[in-house]
Amino acid sequence: MRSFDVIVIGAGVIGSSVAYHLVKKGLEVALVEKGGVASGTSSRCDAVALICDKKPGIDTEIGFASIQLFKQLANEFSVDFEFSSRGSLYVCETEQELEVAREYVSQQAKDGYEMRMVDRHELQEIEPYLADDLAGGIWTEVDSTMNPYKLCYAFVEEGKKLGLQVYDYHAVQNITLDDRGRVESVVTDRGTFHTKRIVNCAGVWSPKIAEMVGVHIPIKPRKGMVLISEKTPLKVAHQKVHEFGYMLSKFEDIHFKRNVSELVEKHNVAFTIEPTDANNFLVGGHRAFRGFDIRSEIEVMRAIAERAIRFLPILKELNCIRAYAGVRPWVEDHLPIVSEVEEVPGFYIASGHEGDGISMSPITGRMVAQLITGERTDFNIDKLNFSRYKNNQAVNI
Amino acid sequence: MGDNETVICRCEEITLKEIKETIERYQCSAREVKLRTRAGMGPCGGRTCRCMIDRLVEQLGGPSISNEISLSYRPPVRPVSFGVLGGDVK
Repeated sequence: MRSFDVIVIGAGVIGSSVAYHLVKKGLEVALVEKGGVASGTSSRCDAVALICDKKPGIDTEIGFASIQLFKQLANEFSVDFEFSSRGSLYVCETEQELEVAREYVSQQAKDGYEMRMVDRHELQEIEPYLADDLAGGIWTEVDSTMNPYKLCYAFVEEGKKLGLQVYDYHAVQNITLDDRGRVESVVTDRGTFHTKRIVNCAGVWSPKIAEMVGVHIPIKPRKGMVLISEKTPLKVAHQKVHEFGYMLSKFEDIHFKRNVSELVEKHNVAFTIEPTDANNFLVGGHRAFRGFDIRSEIEVMRAIAERAIRFLPILKELNCIRAYAGVRPWVEDHLPIVSEVEEVPGFYIASGHEGDGISMSPITGRMVAQLITGERTDFNIDKLNFSRYKNNQAVNI
Repeated sequence: MGDNETVICRCEEITLKEIKETIERYQCSAREVKLRTRAGMGPCGGRTCRCMIDRLVEQLGGPSISNEISLSYRPPVRPVSFGVLGGDVK
Protein backbone atom coordinates (compact mmCIF):
# COMPACT_ATOMS: atom_id res chain seq x y z
CA MET A 1 0.00 0.00 0.00
CA ARG A 2 1.43 3.38 -0.93
CA SER A 3 1.75 5.87 1.82
CA PHE A 4 1.70 9.69 1.76
CA ASP A 5 2.09 12.53 4.25
CA VAL A 6 -1.06 14.14 2.90
CA ILE A 7 -3.77 13.10 0.46
CA VAL A 8 -5.68 15.87 -1.26
CA ILE A 9 -9.08 14.88 -2.61
CA GLY A 10 -10.34 16.79 -5.64
CA ALA A 11 -8.24 18.28 -8.46
CA GLY A 12 -10.22 21.42 -9.04
CA VAL A 13 -8.57 24.75 -8.47
CA ILE A 14 -8.58 24.48 -4.66
CA GLY A 15 -7.20 20.92 -4.52
CA SER A 16 -4.58 21.69 -7.18
CA SER A 17 -3.40 24.74 -5.26
CA VAL A 18 -3.43 22.95 -1.90
CA ALA A 19 -1.44 20.03 -3.36
CA TYR A 20 1.09 22.39 -4.95
CA HIS A 21 1.60 24.37 -1.74
CA LEU A 22 2.01 21.17 0.29
CA VAL A 23 4.72 19.65 -1.95
CA LYS A 24 6.44 23.01 -1.84
CA LYS A 25 6.77 22.48 1.93
CA GLY A 26 8.63 19.24 1.20
CA LEU A 27 5.77 16.88 2.02
CA GLU A 28 4.90 13.72 0.11
CA VAL A 29 1.52 14.41 -1.41
CA ALA A 30 -1.02 12.56 -3.56
CA LEU A 31 -3.76 14.37 -5.42
CA VAL A 32 -6.72 12.02 -5.92
CA GLU A 33 -9.45 12.92 -8.40
CA LYS A 34 -12.45 10.97 -9.67
CA GLY A 35 -12.22 12.47 -13.18
CA GLY A 36 -9.50 14.49 -14.86
CA VAL A 37 -7.86 17.66 -13.51
CA ALA A 38 -10.35 20.57 -13.63
CA SER A 39 -13.24 18.36 -14.68
CA GLY A 40 -15.87 19.93 -12.42
CA THR A 41 -16.62 23.46 -11.36
CA SER A 42 -13.17 24.86 -12.24
CA SER A 43 -13.77 24.39 -15.96
CA ARG A 44 -17.37 25.63 -15.87
CA CYS A 45 -16.91 29.06 -14.40
CA ASP A 46 -15.62 32.48 -15.28
CA ALA A 47 -12.12 33.60 -14.63
CA VAL A 48 -11.52 36.52 -12.37
CA ALA A 49 -9.83 37.37 -9.10
CA LEU A 50 -11.62 40.39 -7.71
CA ILE A 51 -11.82 42.34 -4.53
CA CYS A 52 -14.73 44.47 -5.72
CA ASP A 53 -17.17 41.60 -5.30
CA LYS A 54 -16.16 40.90 -1.72
CA LYS A 55 -17.68 42.16 1.47
CA PRO A 56 -15.50 44.60 3.43
CA GLY A 57 -13.36 42.87 6.06
CA ILE A 58 -11.71 39.43 5.96
CA ASP A 59 -13.37 38.53 2.64
CA THR A 60 -11.66 41.48 0.90
CA GLU A 61 -8.41 41.11 2.87
CA ILE A 62 -7.93 37.51 1.78
CA GLY A 63 -9.05 38.32 -1.77
CA PHE A 64 -6.45 41.06 -2.02
CA ALA A 65 -3.66 38.84 -0.65
CA SER A 66 -4.66 36.18 -3.16
CA ILE A 67 -4.24 38.58 -6.09
CA GLN A 68 -0.74 39.45 -4.84
CA LEU A 69 0.07 35.73 -4.77
CA PHE A 70 -1.27 35.31 -8.31
CA LYS A 71 1.17 37.94 -9.52
CA GLN A 72 4.02 36.07 -7.87
CA LEU A 73 2.91 32.69 -9.26
CA ALA A 74 2.50 34.11 -12.78
CA ASN A 75 6.18 35.10 -12.59
CA GLU A 76 7.44 31.88 -11.03
CA PHE A 77 5.48 29.29 -13.03
CA SER A 78 6.76 28.11 -16.39
CA VAL A 79 3.20 27.10 -17.28
CA ASP A 80 1.20 30.09 -18.51
CA PHE A 81 -2.29 30.59 -17.04
CA GLU A 82 -3.07 33.79 -18.93
CA PHE A 83 -2.96 36.03 -15.88
CA SER A 84 -3.39 39.76 -16.27
CA SER A 85 -4.38 42.64 -14.03
CA ARG A 86 -6.79 44.70 -16.06
CA GLY A 87 -8.94 46.17 -13.32
CA SER A 88 -12.70 45.85 -13.20
CA LEU A 89 -15.70 48.10 -13.65
CA TYR A 90 -19.00 48.04 -11.80
CA VAL A 91 -21.85 49.89 -13.47
CA CYS A 92 -24.77 51.40 -11.61
CA GLU A 93 -28.04 51.69 -13.44
CA THR A 94 -29.68 54.29 -11.23
CA GLU A 95 -28.87 57.08 -8.79
CA GLN A 96 -30.23 54.87 -6.06
CA GLU A 97 -27.72 52.11 -6.87
CA LEU A 98 -25.00 54.72 -7.02
CA GLU A 99 -25.89 55.72 -3.48
CA VAL A 100 -25.41 52.14 -2.20
CA ALA A 101 -22.20 51.89 -4.25
CA ARG A 102 -20.78 55.07 -2.69
CA GLU A 103 -21.27 53.68 0.77
CA TYR A 104 -19.56 50.42 -0.22
CA VAL A 105 -16.62 52.21 -1.86
CA SER A 106 -16.08 54.56 1.05
CA GLN A 107 -15.83 51.61 3.40
CA GLN A 108 -13.38 49.75 1.14
CA ALA A 109 -11.33 52.91 0.56
CA LYS A 110 -11.20 53.50 4.30
CA ASP A 111 -9.69 50.01 4.65
CA GLY A 112 -6.99 51.09 2.18
CA TYR A 113 -8.17 49.49 -1.07
CA GLU A 114 -7.81 51.24 -4.39
CA MET A 115 -11.43 51.55 -5.36
CA ARG A 116 -13.07 54.72 -6.63
CA MET A 117 -16.33 56.06 -8.03
CA VAL A 118 -16.52 57.05 -11.69
CA ASP A 119 -19.17 59.35 -13.13
CA ARG A 120 -21.25 58.74 -16.25
CA HIS A 121 -18.72 60.48 -18.50
CA GLU A 122 -15.75 58.53 -17.26
CA LEU A 123 -17.82 55.37 -17.64
CA GLN A 124 -18.11 56.09 -21.35
CA GLU A 125 -14.40 56.84 -21.60
CA ILE A 126 -13.51 53.49 -20.06
CA GLU A 127 -16.09 51.53 -22.07
CA PRO A 128 -17.47 53.43 -25.08
CA TYR A 129 -19.97 50.69 -25.96
CA LEU A 130 -21.83 50.96 -22.65
CA ALA A 131 -25.42 52.22 -22.78
CA ASP A 132 -25.39 56.03 -22.39
CA ASP A 133 -28.08 56.25 -19.69
CA LEU A 134 -26.08 54.63 -16.88
CA ALA A 135 -25.58 56.60 -13.68
CA GLY A 136 -21.93 55.82 -12.94
CA GLY A 137 -19.80 53.08 -11.49
CA ILE A 138 -16.86 51.80 -9.48
CA TRP A 139 -13.35 51.28 -10.81
CA THR A 140 -11.16 48.73 -9.02
CA GLU A 141 -7.56 48.86 -10.14
CA VAL A 142 -6.23 45.63 -8.64
CA ASP A 143 -8.84 43.24 -10.09
CA SER A 144 -7.42 40.53 -12.29
CA THR A 145 -8.26 37.77 -14.71
CA MET A 146 -6.89 34.40 -15.81
CA ASN A 147 -7.79 31.11 -17.46
CA PRO A 148 -9.28 28.92 -14.71
CA TYR A 149 -8.54 25.44 -16.06
CA LYS A 150 -5.06 26.44 -17.22
CA LEU A 151 -4.50 27.62 -13.66
CA CYS A 152 -5.37 24.11 -12.41
CA TYR A 153 -3.01 22.55 -14.96
CA ALA A 154 -0.30 25.00 -13.91
CA PHE A 155 -0.59 24.12 -10.19
CA VAL A 156 -0.53 20.40 -11.03
CA GLU A 157 2.41 20.56 -13.43
CA GLU A 158 4.47 22.77 -11.13
CA GLY A 159 3.56 20.42 -8.27
CA LYS A 160 4.70 17.37 -10.25
CA LYS A 161 8.13 18.96 -10.67
CA LEU A 162 8.35 18.93 -6.86
CA GLY A 163 7.22 15.32 -6.55
CA LEU A 164 3.42 15.59 -6.47
CA GLN A 165 1.75 12.28 -7.36
CA VAL A 166 -1.48 12.67 -9.30
CA TYR A 167 -4.07 9.87 -9.28
CA ASP A 168 -6.70 11.07 -11.71
CA TYR A 169 -9.61 8.78 -12.63
CA HIS A 170 -9.46 7.40 -9.08
CA ALA A 171 -12.83 7.67 -7.32
CA VAL A 172 -12.70 7.82 -3.53
CA GLN A 173 -15.00 5.16 -2.11
CA ASN A 174 -14.19 5.17 1.56
CA ILE A 175 -12.00 6.72 4.23
CA THR A 176 -10.91 4.55 7.14
CA LEU A 177 -10.08 5.75 10.65
CA ASP A 178 -7.86 4.03 13.20
CA ASP A 179 -9.09 2.84 16.60
CA ARG A 180 -8.62 6.32 18.03
CA GLY A 181 -10.74 7.92 15.31
CA ARG A 182 -7.83 9.39 13.37
CA VAL A 183 -7.47 9.35 9.58
CA GLU A 184 -5.81 6.13 8.41
CA SER A 185 -6.40 5.53 4.71
CA VAL A 186 -8.21 6.52 1.53
CA VAL A 187 -9.86 3.72 -0.42
CA THR A 188 -10.38 4.34 -4.14
CA ASP A 189 -11.78 2.14 -6.90
CA ARG A 190 -8.21 1.57 -8.09
CA GLY A 191 -6.29 1.09 -4.87
CA THR A 192 -5.90 2.17 -1.26
CA PHE A 193 -3.49 4.84 0.01
CA HIS A 194 -2.24 5.15 3.55
CA THR A 195 -2.10 8.59 5.17
CA LYS A 196 -2.57 10.45 8.43
CA ARG A 197 -3.89 13.58 6.80
CA ILE A 198 -6.57 14.22 4.22
CA VAL A 199 -7.61 17.56 2.75
CA ASN A 200 -11.15 17.48 1.38
CA CYS A 201 -11.13 19.87 -1.60
CA ALA A 202 -14.03 18.29 -3.44
CA GLY A 203 -16.07 21.52 -3.67
CA VAL A 204 -19.74 20.77 -4.28
CA TRP A 205 -18.95 17.08 -3.79
CA SER A 206 -17.11 17.62 -0.48
CA PRO A 207 -20.18 16.71 1.65
CA LYS A 208 -20.09 13.23 0.08
CA ILE A 209 -16.43 12.81 1.03
CA ALA A 210 -17.07 14.11 4.57
CA GLU A 211 -19.97 11.68 5.05
CA MET A 212 -17.41 8.87 4.83
CA VAL A 213 -16.05 10.02 8.20
CA GLY A 214 -19.45 10.90 9.63
CA VAL A 215 -19.16 14.65 9.17
CA HIS A 216 -21.94 16.80 7.72
CA ILE A 217 -20.81 19.78 5.62
CA PRO A 218 -23.61 22.27 4.82
CA ILE A 219 -22.49 22.99 1.24
CA LYS A 220 -25.11 23.21 -1.51
CA PRO A 221 -24.50 23.33 -5.28
CA ARG A 222 -25.46 26.73 -6.67
CA LYS A 223 -25.76 26.76 -10.42
CA GLY A 224 -24.47 29.47 -12.73
CA MET A 225 -24.91 29.74 -16.49
CA VAL A 226 -22.55 31.58 -18.84
CA LEU A 227 -22.95 32.51 -22.52
CA ILE A 228 -19.95 32.73 -24.86
CA SER A 229 -19.80 35.22 -27.71
CA GLU A 230 -18.16 34.65 -31.04
CA LYS A 231 -14.65 36.01 -31.49
CA THR A 232 -14.76 39.63 -32.49
CA PRO A 233 -12.27 42.41 -33.17
CA LEU A 234 -14.69 44.79 -31.42
CA LYS A 235 -13.47 45.75 -27.95
CA VAL A 236 -16.89 45.21 -26.42
CA ALA A 237 -15.31 45.29 -22.96
CA HIS A 238 -11.67 45.83 -22.04
CA GLN A 239 -11.92 44.11 -18.66
CA LYS A 240 -14.53 42.65 -16.38
CA VAL A 241 -17.66 44.80 -16.42
CA HIS A 242 -20.61 43.92 -14.24
CA GLU A 243 -23.67 45.57 -12.86
CA PHE A 244 -23.65 46.61 -9.25
CA GLY A 245 -26.82 44.57 -8.89
CA TYR A 246 -24.49 41.55 -9.06
CA MET A 247 -23.70 42.14 -5.41
CA LEU A 248 -27.40 41.88 -4.74
CA SER A 249 -27.69 38.50 -6.42
CA LYS A 250 -24.64 37.18 -4.57
CA PHE A 251 -25.54 38.22 -1.07
CA GLU A 252 -29.09 37.52 0.04
CA ASP A 253 -28.83 39.97 2.93
CA ILE A 254 -28.48 43.07 0.76
CA HIS A 255 -32.00 44.28 0.21
CA PHE A 256 -32.34 46.26 -2.95
CA LYS A 257 -34.84 45.93 -5.75
CA ARG A 258 -33.78 46.48 -9.36
CA ASN A 259 -36.13 47.59 -12.07
CA VAL A 260 -35.85 44.44 -14.21
CA SER A 261 -38.17 42.16 -16.19
CA GLU A 262 -39.93 39.24 -14.59
CA LEU A 263 -37.66 36.82 -16.47
CA VAL A 264 -34.47 38.46 -15.19
CA GLU A 265 -35.85 38.64 -11.66
CA LYS A 266 -37.09 35.05 -11.68
CA HIS A 267 -33.69 33.66 -12.67
CA ASN A 268 -31.62 35.92 -10.45
CA VAL A 269 -29.65 37.20 -13.45
CA ALA A 270 -27.16 40.05 -13.06
CA PHE A 271 -25.08 41.27 -15.96
CA THR A 272 -21.38 40.44 -16.14
CA ILE A 273 -19.01 40.30 -19.10
CA GLU A 274 -15.34 39.52 -19.38
CA PRO A 275 -12.91 39.29 -22.28
CA THR A 276 -10.82 36.13 -22.73
CA ASP A 277 -7.37 35.74 -24.27
CA ALA A 278 -9.03 33.98 -27.20
CA ASN A 279 -11.09 37.13 -28.00
CA ASN A 280 -14.40 35.63 -27.04
CA PHE A 281 -16.45 37.25 -24.30
CA LEU A 282 -18.00 35.40 -21.38
CA VAL A 283 -21.43 36.81 -20.56
CA GLY A 284 -23.32 36.03 -17.34
CA GLY A 285 -24.30 35.82 -14.63
CA HIS A 286 -26.84 33.67 -12.91
CA ARG A 287 -27.37 31.98 -9.55
CA ALA A 288 -29.91 29.28 -8.78
CA PHE A 289 -30.33 26.13 -6.72
CA ARG A 290 -31.00 23.20 -9.07
CA GLY A 291 -29.17 20.38 -7.33
CA PHE A 292 -26.33 19.01 -9.47
CA ASP A 293 -28.18 19.63 -12.75
CA ILE A 294 -25.87 21.60 -15.05
CA ARG A 295 -27.94 21.42 -18.19
CA SER A 296 -28.35 24.71 -20.02
CA GLU A 297 -31.75 26.33 -19.57
CA ILE A 298 -33.10 28.30 -22.49
CA GLU A 299 -35.03 30.69 -20.25
CA VAL A 300 -31.86 31.55 -18.37
CA MET A 301 -30.00 32.05 -21.65
CA ARG A 302 -32.72 34.50 -22.71
CA ALA A 303 -32.59 36.32 -19.41
CA ILE A 304 -28.79 36.68 -19.55
CA ALA A 305 -28.93 37.98 -23.14
CA GLU A 306 -31.75 40.40 -22.27
CA ARG A 307 -29.82 41.84 -19.35
CA ALA A 308 -26.55 41.99 -21.33
CA ILE A 309 -27.94 44.03 -24.22
CA ARG A 310 -29.45 46.48 -21.74
CA PHE A 311 -25.90 47.42 -20.67
CA LEU A 312 -24.04 46.72 -23.94
CA PRO A 313 -26.43 47.26 -26.87
CA ILE A 314 -23.62 46.37 -29.32
CA LEU A 315 -24.02 42.74 -28.24
CA LYS A 316 -27.31 42.56 -30.18
CA GLU A 317 -25.24 42.21 -33.33
CA LEU A 318 -22.90 39.56 -31.94
CA ASN A 319 -23.51 35.85 -31.90
CA CYS A 320 -23.72 33.65 -28.87
CA ILE A 321 -21.89 30.48 -29.88
CA ARG A 322 -22.26 28.45 -26.74
CA ALA A 323 -23.72 28.23 -23.26
CA TYR A 324 -22.54 26.26 -20.26
CA ALA A 325 -23.29 25.92 -16.59
CA GLY A 326 -21.43 24.88 -13.48
CA VAL A 327 -22.27 24.45 -9.82
CA ARG A 328 -20.58 26.54 -7.14
CA PRO A 329 -20.04 25.22 -3.60
CA TRP A 330 -22.37 27.54 -1.70
CA VAL A 331 -22.42 28.04 2.05
CA GLU A 332 -24.93 30.12 3.92
CA ASP A 333 -22.45 32.62 5.38
CA HIS A 334 -20.47 33.10 2.13
CA LEU A 335 -17.15 32.29 3.79
CA PRO A 336 -15.13 29.25 2.75
CA ILE A 337 -14.38 26.45 5.19
CA VAL A 338 -10.63 26.14 5.77
CA SER A 339 -9.75 24.09 8.86
CA GLU A 340 -9.18 20.72 10.44
CA VAL A 341 -12.28 18.95 11.72
CA GLU A 342 -11.89 18.69 15.47
CA GLU A 343 -13.80 15.41 15.79
CA VAL A 344 -11.71 13.62 13.14
CA PRO A 345 -8.00 14.31 13.68
CA GLY A 346 -6.19 14.52 10.35
CA PHE A 347 -9.30 15.41 8.34
CA TYR A 348 -9.11 18.90 6.86
CA ILE A 349 -11.62 20.79 4.73
CA ALA A 350 -10.84 23.47 2.14
CA SER A 351 -14.10 24.05 0.35
CA GLY A 352 -17.24 26.19 0.17
CA HIS A 353 -15.74 29.08 -1.81
CA GLU A 354 -18.90 29.47 -3.89
CA GLY A 355 -17.94 31.75 -6.81
CA ASP A 356 -14.60 32.71 -5.28
CA GLY A 357 -12.70 29.45 -5.73
CA ILE A 358 -10.47 30.66 -8.55
CA SER A 359 -9.98 34.00 -6.84
CA MET A 360 -9.11 32.48 -3.46
CA SER A 361 -7.14 29.44 -4.63
CA PRO A 362 -3.55 30.66 -4.03
CA ILE A 363 -4.18 32.00 -0.54
CA THR A 364 -6.28 28.96 0.41
CA GLY A 365 -3.53 26.57 -0.74
CA ARG A 366 -0.93 28.56 1.10
CA MET A 367 -2.87 28.66 4.37
CA VAL A 368 -3.79 24.96 4.28
CA ALA A 369 -0.07 24.18 3.90
CA GLN A 370 0.62 26.46 6.88
CA LEU A 371 -2.09 24.74 8.96
CA ILE A 372 -0.72 21.29 8.20
CA THR A 373 2.91 22.16 8.90
CA GLY A 374 1.89 23.87 12.13
CA GLU A 375 2.96 27.33 11.03
CA ARG A 376 1.08 30.49 11.78
CA THR A 377 -1.40 31.23 8.97
CA ASP A 378 -1.08 34.53 7.04
CA PHE A 379 -4.47 35.56 8.36
CA ASN A 380 -6.42 34.76 11.46
CA ILE A 381 -8.84 32.27 9.94
CA ASP A 382 -10.93 31.45 13.00
CA LYS A 383 -13.96 32.65 11.04
CA LEU A 384 -13.26 30.00 8.39
CA ASN A 385 -13.22 27.18 10.94
CA PHE A 386 -15.60 24.31 10.35
CA SER A 387 -16.64 24.41 14.01
CA ARG A 388 -18.72 27.53 13.28
CA TYR A 389 -21.49 25.25 12.01
CA LYS A 390 -21.42 23.11 15.11
CA ASN A 391 -21.82 26.26 17.23
CA ASN A 392 -24.66 27.40 15.00
CA GLN A 393 -26.46 24.11 15.40
CA ALA A 394 -26.04 24.34 19.14
CA VAL A 395 -27.59 27.81 19.11
CA ASN A 396 -30.47 26.69 16.90
CA ILE A 397 -31.32 23.87 19.26
CA MET B 1 1.30 20.12 -47.10
CA GLY B 2 2.46 17.48 -44.64
CA ASP B 3 -0.05 15.32 -42.80
CA ASN B 4 0.68 17.16 -39.60
CA GLU B 5 -0.47 20.45 -41.07
CA THR B 6 -3.94 19.01 -41.63
CA VAL B 7 -6.45 21.22 -39.85
CA ILE B 8 -8.62 19.20 -37.47
CA CYS B 9 -10.62 22.01 -35.86
CA ARG B 10 -11.53 24.44 -38.61
CA CYS B 11 -13.20 26.95 -36.33
CA GLU B 12 -10.15 27.47 -34.14
CA GLU B 13 -7.62 26.35 -36.80
CA ILE B 14 -6.01 23.64 -34.72
CA THR B 15 -3.76 21.23 -36.61
CA LEU B 16 -3.31 17.50 -36.32
CA LYS B 17 0.22 18.17 -35.10
CA GLU B 18 -0.92 20.31 -32.18
CA ILE B 19 -3.50 17.73 -31.14
CA LYS B 20 -1.08 14.80 -31.43
CA GLU B 21 1.57 16.63 -29.43
CA THR B 22 -0.91 17.50 -26.69
CA ILE B 23 -2.14 13.90 -26.34
CA GLU B 24 1.39 12.50 -26.37
CA ARG B 25 2.73 15.01 -23.89
CA TYR B 26 -0.10 14.93 -21.35
CA GLN B 27 -1.65 11.50 -22.03
CA CYS B 28 -4.94 13.24 -21.60
CA SER B 29 -8.64 12.86 -22.33
CA ALA B 30 -10.47 14.38 -25.30
CA ARG B 31 -11.88 16.97 -22.94
CA GLU B 32 -8.41 18.01 -21.79
CA VAL B 33 -7.25 18.20 -25.43
CA LYS B 34 -10.12 20.58 -26.04
CA LEU B 35 -9.30 22.76 -23.03
CA ARG B 36 -5.57 22.83 -23.80
CA THR B 37 -5.74 23.47 -27.56
CA ARG B 38 -9.21 25.08 -28.01
CA ALA B 39 -10.07 22.42 -30.60
CA GLY B 40 -13.86 22.16 -30.53
CA MET B 41 -14.37 25.50 -28.81
CA GLY B 42 -15.30 27.52 -31.90
CA PRO B 43 -18.68 28.38 -33.43
CA CYS B 44 -19.58 24.79 -34.33
CA GLY B 45 -18.94 23.60 -30.79
CA GLY B 46 -16.91 20.59 -31.90
CA ARG B 47 -19.65 19.19 -34.12
CA THR B 48 -17.13 18.86 -36.95
CA CYS B 49 -13.98 17.69 -35.17
CA ARG B 50 -15.05 15.87 -32.02
CA CYS B 51 -15.07 12.38 -33.57
CA MET B 52 -11.56 12.87 -34.91
CA ILE B 53 -10.32 14.09 -31.53
CA ASP B 54 -11.97 11.15 -29.77
CA ARG B 55 -10.33 8.72 -32.23
CA LEU B 56 -6.92 10.35 -31.87
CA VAL B 57 -7.08 10.12 -28.08
CA GLU B 58 -8.07 6.47 -28.36
CA GLN B 59 -5.22 5.69 -30.79
CA LEU B 60 -2.54 7.65 -28.99
CA GLY B 61 -3.32 6.30 -25.56
CA GLY B 62 -5.16 8.86 -23.47
CA PRO B 63 -6.79 7.64 -20.24
CA SER B 64 -8.81 4.55 -21.01
CA ILE B 65 -10.51 4.22 -17.67
CA SER B 66 -13.36 6.66 -17.91
CA ASN B 67 -17.07 6.25 -18.27
CA GLU B 68 -17.74 9.90 -18.88
CA ILE B 69 -19.07 11.05 -22.22
CA SER B 70 -15.93 12.54 -23.72
CA LEU B 71 -17.10 15.83 -25.20
CA SER B 72 -20.47 17.36 -24.47
CA TYR B 73 -22.91 19.04 -26.83
CA ARG B 74 -23.88 22.51 -25.75
CA PRO B 75 -26.59 24.85 -26.97
CA PRO B 76 -27.27 26.76 -29.12
CA VAL B 77 -27.20 24.30 -32.05
CA ARG B 78 -26.31 27.19 -34.38
CA PRO B 79 -24.89 30.55 -33.34
CA VAL B 80 -27.67 32.98 -32.50
CA SER B 81 -27.29 36.70 -31.89
CA PHE B 82 -27.66 38.11 -28.39
CA GLY B 83 -30.31 40.39 -29.92
CA VAL B 84 -32.50 37.45 -30.92
CA LEU B 85 -31.82 35.56 -27.71
CA GLY B 86 -32.55 38.62 -25.59
CA GLY B 87 -35.87 39.23 -27.37
CA ASP B 88 -34.85 42.54 -28.92
CA VAL B 89 -34.69 41.32 -32.53
CA LYS B 90 -37.40 39.08 -33.95
